[in-house]
Amino acid sequence: MSTGPRVVGQRLPRLDAPGKVTGTAVYAADFALPGMLHGKVLRSREAHARLLGVDAARARTLPGVRAVITAADVPDVRYGGALKDETVFARDKVRYVGQPVAAVAATTREAAEAALAAIDVAYEPLPAVFDVEAALAPGAPLIHEAWPTYTAIPILHREGNVCNRARIVAGDVERGFVEADRVFEHRFRTGMVHQGYTEPRAAVAVWDTSGQVTVWSNTQLPFEIQNTLAEILALPPSKIRVIVPGIGGGFGGKLRVGVEHFAALLARRAGRPVKIVTTCEEELTAAYPRQSTRVELKTGVTRDGRITAKAGRIWFDTGAFAGSGPGVASVATLVLAGPYRIPNLLIEGYAVYTNKTNCGSFRAPSGPQANFAVESQMDMIADALGLDPLDFRLKNIVREGDEGPTGQVLTAVGLEECLRRAAAAIGWADRRPTADRGKGLACGWWTTTGGSSGVYVKLNPDGTVALNTGAAEIGTAALTGAAQVLAEDLGVDLADISVVSADTFATPFDFGAQGSRTAFAVGNACRAAAADLRRQLCALAAAQWGVAAETLTVRDKHVVGDGKRIALVELARLSQASGGGLIAHGTFIAPPTAYDAKRVEAHVYPAFHSPSFHAHAVDLSVDRETGEVTLHRYVVAQDVGFAMNPTYIEGQIEGGVAQGLGQALSEEIVYEGGRVLNPNLTDYKMPTTLDLPRVESILVEHPSPVGPYGAKGVGEPPNIEPPAAVANAVAAAVGVRVTTLPITAEKVALALSGEATP
Amino acid sequence: MSFECHEPSSVTDAVALGARFGEEGRFLAGGTDLIIQMRRGKVGPRHVMSLHRVSGLDRIEADGAVRLGALVTHRTIERCPAFQGPLQALVESAAVVGGHQIRNVATVGGNIVNASPAADVVPVLLALDATVTCLGPDGERTLTLDGFLTGPGQTARRPGELLTSVRFDQLPPGSATAFVKAGRRKAMEISVVCVAVRLTLDAAHARCQEARIALGAVAPTTLRARAAERALEGQPLTDEVLRRAGRLAAGECGPIDDVRASARYRRLLVETLVPRALRRSLERIGRAA
Amino acid sequence: MSRLALSLRINGETHEVLTAPHRTLLDVLRDDLGLTGTKENCLEAECGVCTVLLDGRAVNACILLAAQCRGRDIVTIEGLASGGELHPLQRAFVERGAVQCGYCIPGMILSAKAYLEECPEASEDGIREALAGNLCRCTGYQKITEAVATAARELYGGRTTQ
Ligand SMILES: Cc1cc2nc3c(=O)[nH]c(=O)nc-3n(C[C@H](O)[C@H](O)[C@H](O)COP(=O)(O)OP(=O)(O)OC[C@H]3O[C@@H](n4cnc5c(N)ncnc54)[C@H](O)[C@@H]3O)c2cc1C
Ligand code: FES
Ligand code: FES
Repeated sequence: MSTGPRVVGQRLPRLDAPGKVTGTAVYAADFALPGMLHGKVLRSREAHARLLGVDAARARTLPGVRAVITAADVPDVRYGGALKDETVFARDKVRYVGQPVAAVAATTREAAEAALAAIDVAYEPLPAVFDVEAALAPGAPLIHEAWPTYTAIPILHREGNVCNRARIVAGDVERGFVEADRVFEHRFRTGMVHQGYTEPRAAVAVWDTSGQVTVWSNTQLPFEIQNTLAEILALPPSKIRVIVPGIGGGFGGKLRVGVEHFAALLARRAGRPVKIVTTCEEELTAAYPRQSTRVELKTGVTRDGRITAKAGRIWFDTGAFAGSGPGVASVATLVLAGPYRIPNLLIEGYAVYTNKTNCGSFRAPSGPQANFAVESQMDMIADALGLDPLDFRLKNIVREGDEGPTGQVLTAVGLEECLRRAAAAIGWADRRPTADRGKGLACGWWTTTGGSSGVYVKLNPDGTVALNTGAAEIGTAALTGAAQVLAEDLGVDLADISVVSADTFATPFDFGAQGSRTAFAVGNACRAAAADLRRQLCALAAAQWGVAAETLTVRDKHVVGDGKRIALVELARLSQASGGGLIAHGTFIAPPTAYDAKRVEAHVYPAFHSPSFHAHAVDLSVDRETGEVTLHRYVVAQDVGFAMNPTYIEGQIEGGVAQGLGQALSEEIVYEGGRVLNPNLTDYKMPTTLDLPRVESILVEHPSPVGPYGAKGVGEPPNIEPPAAVANAVAAAVGVRVTTLPITAEKVALALSGEATP
Repeated sequence: MSFECHEPSSVTDAVALGARFGEEGRFLAGGTDLIIQMRRGKVGPRHVMSLHRVSGLDRIEADGAVRLGALVTHRTIERCPAFQGPLQALVESAAVVGGHQIRNVATVGGNIVNASPAADVVPVLLALDATVTCLGPDGERTLTLDGFLTGPGQTARRPGELLTSVRFDQLPPGSATAFVKAGRRKAMEISVVCVAVRLTLDAAHARCQEARIALGAVAPTTLRARAAERALEGQPLTDEVLRRAGRLAAGECGPIDDVRASARYRRLLVETLVPRALRRSLERIGRAA
Repeated sequence: MSRLALSLRINGETHEVLTAPHRTLLDVLRDDLGLTGTKENCLEAECGVCTVLLDGRAVNACILLAAQCRGRDIVTIEGLASGGELHPLQRAFVERGAVQCGYCIPGMILSAKAYLEECPEASEDGIREALAGNLCRCTGYQKITEAVATAARELYGGRTTQ
C-alpha cells in the first residue's frame, strides 16, 4: 500500500458534474408531477398596517383557481427558531411590504396571478420604523406589541424592538482604555444584501390518502423543514417527507421555510400537487437576506501598537421577525472581537426589529459586516500610529494556545502563516505601486458549525458502495469530499461511491448543509461508517477462512490477510446470500468547545468550533474622477486544516470572494419608506465575469484535531474579508476611507471631490 | 401578458397592421425592452406585431450617407467594418449594450423608439445629427432624431407608424467620435451616465470646426449639450477648453436622484466624462492624420 | 384565448406545438417539451441561465416569444452531448472543476459554444466578455473561464492564449 492518502486530498472531479453539464440533473425548480397546480402568494403592500380584512370571495370563482387560503384557513401557530414570532400569513397586522397575506393555486401561473389580483385587502396604516435608529428611539412603535408572550429560548435578552442583545465581557474594558496611549473611535455601516442563488426558492407538495405530505424543495435543511412543517401543519414529523432534488445555490438563503408551507397548505386544500417558485421580485423583497448593520468600535492601543481594550457594538436590522437575528447577533461578537489578543473586551450584538423583510443567514452570517468594521479600523489605527498594517496585525494576532475572546483555547492557529503568505503573494512591500493604485489586507477567523451527522453506507452487489446521507449537496462538492473520505477509508475509488442524499424518510438525520460543516461532519460520519463496514467485511472474510478478524485488513477493493485475499464483490455476494447484505452506520457530533461561561450573556454561539483563520489581499486601482474601482489581483491564504479536494476548495474560495466583492462594491437592497427600490436584477448588481479579478488561493494546512484528516470548515470564510480588504486598498490607493458598504464609485468620487464624507 | 401575436412578412404588411391597431398595437423587434415592460405591467398592448419575418430592415448601407435599417442589431453594428474609423463611437456604444444574448437580438430601432434617456446608441446617433424615417398609412416622414425624442419613453412617432431607418452623413476629414459610459459594474449596466461626442477640426487641425456632445441618463431625453458645444467651436482644443465644456455640460443637464445614482454624482460624471470623450476623439483624429 | 401552431426545430428535431401567443421559448421548452436543462430565474434577460442558441447565437429564452422562433434552429443543453459522449466544453467543465451548484452551467456552456464558434482563438478577456451576460453566484467564474479555454484548445488546437 502506498503511503499517504490516495483519494482524499486529490483533485478529483465531483460526482454530480456530468448530470449538471448535460442538463439532466433535476432541480427543485424543474420538478413536476402530473396534475400539478401552480401556487402564488399575495403579499402585503404596506410596511406596517392593521389588517382590516382579506376578501378572497371573487378570487375563488375565477377560472382555473383550485384553492385560495388566508390566515383564516390555516392553523394559528407561531413558529420560528430561537424566537417563535412568525405566522404563515399576517394576522391582525402586516409588518413589512412583502409579508404573505394569502395564497392561491390554479391550473396555470397566469390564472394564479389573476386570482391574486382579485383578492381585496383592506389596510389601516400604522406608524412604521425603517431602520435601527428609529426602532430604538424612545417611544418608537413596537413591531411586536405582544413580544413578552412569545416563546423563546430562555437565554435571549429581549426588550421591545430588540429581540436579542448578546454580550461578551472580558477583563475590564475601562481600565484597558486607561492603559492605552491612544483610543480610537469609529463608526461603520453596511447594506442589506441577497444571497443571489441563481435558482429561485421552489417547492412541490403532494398529499397521499393516508394524510402524509411529500415536499420536494431546494432547501439546505430538509430535517429543519420537516420540523417546521410539522409545527405549521400541526402534524407529527412522521407525516412529513421532505426530499431535496438538485439545488441551484443556497448560501444560507434556503435554510428556513420559504415556500414549502404554502405548497403544502395549498396542496392539502386543492387535493392536487402544488408547485411554487418565487419570482425575482419576491426574492429581493421577501426572502432572507443579510442584515444591514451599524457598528461602533472603540479601541485602545499603546504607542508601540499593542491593543489594550476594545468596546464594540453592532446593531443588526433583522426586519419584521427575529429569524436568525438573535444567533447572528451572537456570532457577530466573536467576529467583532477579532482574531486578536485583547485582554479587555466589552462587545455587544443587537438584533433589532424594523418594518422590513425578515433577514436571515448569508454565508458567514455577520462575518463580512463585523469584519469590515474591525479590519478597516485596524488599518485606520495603523495609519494613525505610523505602523505598517501588516506589522500592526502581526503584533496583535492570536497564536497557538492563546485564549479566544470567550476563553476558548485556540489550537491549530494558522493565522500568522496566512497573513505572511497573502502579503508576500500580493507584493506587500510595494503597497502603492503607482498613482491611484493600492493594496489592502484583511484577516479574520470563523467557525466550523457543529451539529450531528449520520450516514449509512451500503455495499452494493458489485462491490461498490452507496453513501446515504441526510445532507443536501448545495453545490460546494461537500458530498464529493465526504465520498472521497469514504473511498479512502474503504480502499475503493471515488468512482465506486454513489450518493443518495437529503430525504427525511430514507436518509439518516443530518444537521444540514450550513455553517461550513457539511464535508467536515459528514466526512467524519463516513470515517465512522467506514470503520464499521471494514469490521463487518473482515468478520465475513474471517468466518470464511476461519481466522481471527483482527488479522485482516481492507485494502484495494479486497479484504486481505493470512496470506489470502477476497474481493469486495465476492463478499457482497456472500453477504447477500447469507445475511441481508452489509450496511454500516456512522455518526458524528463535534465535541463541545470549552469556554468561560462568565464572559457571555444572552449568547447563542459562545465559541468557534475548529476555528479557521484566513487573510485576504487585494491589488486595485481607483479612477480618481469617476471613483470607479478596478480589481487587478486577489489573494486568499486560508487555513483549511487539510484540503480534502483542492479544486473545490479553490472553488469555494473563488466563489466566496466573488460574493464578498459584490457586497464590497456593488450590491445593496435599497429601501425607501419601507419599499425596495431595486427589486430586480437590473438594479441589484451582482458581479459579472468582467467585474472580478483572478483569485489566487493559498491553502494553508494546520490540521484540526477533530476534522476528518484534519480538515476545517472552508465554505463560508472566503466571503468574510473582501469588503475590508477592498476598503483598505481603496484608502491606500487614493487616501479615501469609505466606512459604509457598498463602496460605490459614487461614494469614492464624491469623497475625492470633497463633496461628501463617505 | 395576454395579446394577439402577428407576424407580418413585409414592411407593407407591418405598416398595414400598425395602422389597423394604432395605440393598441406594438411592434416587437428584439423584445429586450418590450417583453420586460409588458411583464412588469408597464405596457399592455392587445396586439404584438413581431418583425422577425420582415426582411430588408436589417441592413447597413454606408456608401454615401449611412443608413441603418431599424432592425439592425447591436451585434451587427459592433462588427460593421464601416464603423471602425471615425464612426467608432457607434461600435463603442453598441458593444456595451447588455451582454451577447441581448446584443444578438436587440435592435437600433428598438433602442430609439423605446426612448429611454439611458439608451446607449441613441446619444451617438444624436451626436451624428441623425434623422429617423417613419412609415405610416399616410406615407413616409423623416424627422431629426433630436425632434423625435420627446420624453422618457416618448417619441413623435404616430400610433402605428413603423420606424424603418436611421440615417446620418459621413463625417468630413478631420473628424472622430467617442462614447464613454459609467455604471456600477463593468458589464450588463444601464448607463448611470453616458456621453457621446463628435469633433471635426479645421483643415489645419488647429481649431474645432464643429462639435456635438450628447448626454444620456441626465435628462428626460437623451440631451444635446449645446452650450458646451458652442464653447468648443472655433476654439483651439486645449485641455482647459475641454474641461470648460465638461463644466458647461454639467450645468446644462438636469439629472435626478434614483436608485442607480444621485443627481450630484451624475453631474460630476458629466463634468469628467465629457472632456474624457473629447480627448479620446482628439487622439483619434491625431492618429488618423 | 387564441393559440398559435408552431413548428420548432430543437436539437435537430422538429416539434409541433400549440401555444398561447404570450408564451416564451423558455415556457415551451420547460413546460411543454420537458426540456428543463434550460433554466429559469430572473425572466428579465439579466442572469443568462435560460441561454439557448438560436441559429447559432446565444439568446435569452425567457424574453423570446416562441412565435419568434418559428422555423429557426434552436439548440439547448440537451442537444450537446452526442451518443453518450460529452461535448468537449462539457468535459472541460467537469474536469476543470467549473461546476458547483450547476444551475448556471447549461447557459454558460451554450454562451461559450457560440463564442468559440465565432472566435476559435479564444483569449481569457474574450471568454470573460462573451460570458458577461451569464451570472454565476458559486464559482467566481475563474474555473469556468479556464474550462472554456481548455475546450477551445481541444476543439481548435493549440491556438488559445491565456
Ligand atoms: C439585460 C438587458 C440589458 C440592457 N442593457 C442595455 C444597455 O446597456 N444599453 C442600452 O441602451 N439598452 C440596454 N437594454 C435595453 C434594450 O436592449 C435596448 O434598448 C434595445 O436596443 C432595444 O431593442 P429591441 O429590438 O429589443 O426593442 P424592442 O423591445 O423590440 O422594442 C422596444 C420598443 O420599440 C418599439 N419598436 C421596436 N422597433 C420598432 C420599429 N421598427 N418601429 C416602431 N417601433 C418599434 C417597440 O414597440 C417597443 O415599444 C438592455 C435590456 C436588457 C433586457
Ligand atoms: S431567466 Fe432568462 S436571463 Fe434570467
Ligand atoms: S455553479 Fe452555481 S450559479 Fe454557477
